[in-house]
Amino acid sequence: MLRLVALRIGQAAVSIWGVLTIIFFILHLSGDPTLLLVPPDASRHQIALLRHELGFDRPLLVQYLAYLGRLLRLDLGQSLVQRLPVARILASRIPYTVELTFGALVVATAIGLPTGAAMALWRGRWVERVLVPIVLAGQSLPTFWSGILLILLFGVVLGWLPTSGAQGFSALIMPSVALGALTMATFARMMRIAMLDELSRDYVTAARARGLSFVAVVLRHVLRNAAIPIITIAALEIGNLMAGAVIVETVFAWPGIGQLAMQSIADRDFLVVQAVVLFVSVVYVLSSLLADLAYAVIDPRIRLTP
Amino acid sequence: MRRRLPLLVALLTVPLLTQPARAAGKTTLTVDLANDAATLDPQLQWDTDSYTVYRNIFDNLVTRDVTGKIVPQVAAAWHYVNPTTIVFTLRRDIRFQNGTSLTAADVVFSIRRITNPSFRSPQLSQFDTIRSVDITGPDQVTLHLKTPYAPLLAQLVKLSIVPKAYVEKVGNTQFNEHPIGSGPYRLEKWQHGVEIVLAANGAYWGGKPPFPAVIFRDVPSDATRLADLRTGRADIDHQMTPDDAKAIARDPALKVLSTPTERVGYLFINAAYGPTKNVLVRRAIAMAIDRNAIIQALLQGYAKPVNILLTPASFGYVSDVPAWPFDPKAARALLEKAHAVGAHLTFLTSPSYNRQITEAIQQMLDNVGLKVAIDQVDQPTFLRRREGPAAHAGNLAQGLWSCACQDADGTIWPLFHSGSIWSKYSNPAFDKLVDAARTSLDPKQRLADYHAAFEILHRDVPGIGLYQAYAIYGARKQLQWMPTPNEAFFVMSMRWK
Repeated sequence: MLRLVALRIGQAAVSIWGVLTIIFFILHLSGDPTLLLVPPDASRHQIALLRHELGFDRPLLVQYLAYLGRLLRLDLGQSLVQRLPVARILASRIPYTVELTFGALVVATAIGLPTGAAMALWRGRWVERVLVPIVLAGQSLPTFWSGILLILLFGVVLGWLPTSGAQGFSALIMPSVALGALTMATFARMMRIAMLDELSRDYVTAARARGLSFVAVVLRHVLRNAAIPIITIAALEIGNLMAGAVIVETVFAWPGIGQLAMQSIADRDFLVVQAVVLFVSVVYVLSSLLADLAYAVIDPRIRLTP
Repeated sequence: MRRRLPLLVALLTVPLLTQPARAAGKTTLTVDLANDAATLDPQLQWDTDSYTVYRNIFDNLVTRDVTGKIVPQVAAAWHYVNPTTIVFTLRRDIRFQNGTSLTAADVVFSIRRITNPSFRSPQLSQFDTIRSVDITGPDQVTLHLKTPYAPLLAQLVKLSIVPKAYVEKVGNTQFNEHPIGSGPYRLEKWQHGVEIVLAANGAYWGGKPPFPAVIFRDVPSDATRLADLRTGRADIDHQMTPDDAKAIARDPALKVLSTPTERVGYLFINAAYGPTKNVLVRRAIAMAIDRNAIIQALLQGYAKPVNILLTPASFGYVSDVPAWPFDPKAARALLEKAHAVGAHLTFLTSPSYNRQITEAIQQMLDNVGLKVAIDQVDQPTFLRRREGPAAHAGNLAQGLWSCACQDADGTIWPLFHSGSIWSKYSNPAFDKLVDAARTSLDPKQRLADYHAAFEILHRDVPGIGLYQAYAIYGARKQLQWMPTPNEAFFVMSMRWK
């Protein structure tokens, strides 16, 4: 088990380094932010002066090694635009994204799992015919559009929920629903497949033959076994939710790292973008790692094949 | 179901009719900005959102009144000793929000701070002509320039005065997060990405601030800002699109506040590369574009056509240099004369520019026989290509230019002087005129020079002015405020009706 953990952590570190390297070169090769920072009437000399002061006139490899060196000392640097330590900027935004991701997971789980289970249990019946379009809508509506529709209906027309911002529980509801919709659909589909798979197993027939009621079989056995693939999906979805939060946070003016990433990319605030990518990569890799380990704990067969 | 439908309609409609009475009696003004302020240290950033907030916390050396005239603020008066020496006499009654007096030492510190290259202020270029600054009396500061520079005062409008002792005590990072100025509002709370709360400075020398508190919220989405305005969550939408402005025209609780600004929408035409190197092709392009159609159909009328590449809000504007008229037949004839019918042009653009306008111009040029390919890149790449070699700058590019100085020097010098990074055009006669206008302190002579310079631009067409852009704000009906062409957002000039 320890060997498996060490191997997975090593793979995770290589993945994060790879992502950071790609992001560093993509950002730097597509132009530095000096021209965005200076007034339009700045002269060539003045632009060169600021570029020199910001260090962008150094060879790219030198900049890259300096960045890695700082990162190894756990120094994320200072924002070019906000002129504040990047660690402080990131720390102020992470709680909002965690809150939103959690809200979306709650929405996805609370709606997705029962929906998936219902679709499996009443397969081919009217229940499934009603639920399938809902799941499809959750899967196919782009969040920038569904978010605006939610704002229009519940914020403007009905006046039940705040149209933007991050103050209070009520402000969390719409962004969580918008963000959680896709994951809800994924959970529902996975749950349906897992349930159908389990329901066709021999142990279900055997349990029924022993006189257990169908409800008892589903609650005690089928749901438990169907949960195994859902755990893996849930862990992977955390990373997806954070990536999806970029759009939702912009639409709902939610001050998380997604909104920070959008603004920082537009400003070419390199160090902030790199820090956001680092954070999301770490979360993605860690959640995958946790899923692997949880899987190994649940299913002993995994431990034997690292 | 049929019986339930009216009930459903009623349920959906009632909240619209019963929304709380907005604005009346409100003590807080809430403004939705498209972005959070990048910094609140006024010498670090000058992007619109940061400037909108911190300009209410700080006073500047000089300012502009509603007519655009440069008037005193921290400086009570000024006079030129010679073309490179200017003396400012300062007010004595200004105090910073921590109670200390604003003195000549603070003014000198502010100027030396922003002109120090190691401070890395993006604004350095605006004050780069200042050679030195000294205290020359108890309330007197003298500026020495490297060369005579006519737009100096227009640039000093953007110089905020910061408290020397406080900045030196707390350092630049702390000052950025907890700034102290001498303006009508002081920073109460800054929650990054959420909101900035300002509280009235009761001891402000310029009078009582109109609202006890002002909140600037960070709301990036146009649609969400509009929803905030409609639900009363915000009192002002700071950056409204022409389409949204049209949409709120029917709402009795809201109004659109708009004004023509110094910002000019223009079309860059590369005079140094490809088919557009030929002046006949450039003239044909100028005659193929229907400015009025663009303004009415795509900007919903929130713009005015311009005859030159400058707006009437800037010094140096001349009304009697004509624009090339919209005449597709004449344009086609010019292209035939230049053997350029069917010529392929590249239209460089980025998401920062109105895509519909780009496509409309593409279609208009196609109508007269030019084949235009749109090359859209991100903004930093766009800027890098525009400033680079002529061969990579595209034959055409849309632009929206503002020097925030309301002076022709800040527009046509950087766009067309052969020494500028943006210029893809060279004409020694033009260079001589704009150089002379930059260093002359005689307004009449400057105006004559600019008149001649615009006549050259009219003949050579290295770019054309398309429209004078409007600033568009959505607001509660009860708000009294007259926006100004320099897009300044002074809360002191606002009131509830």
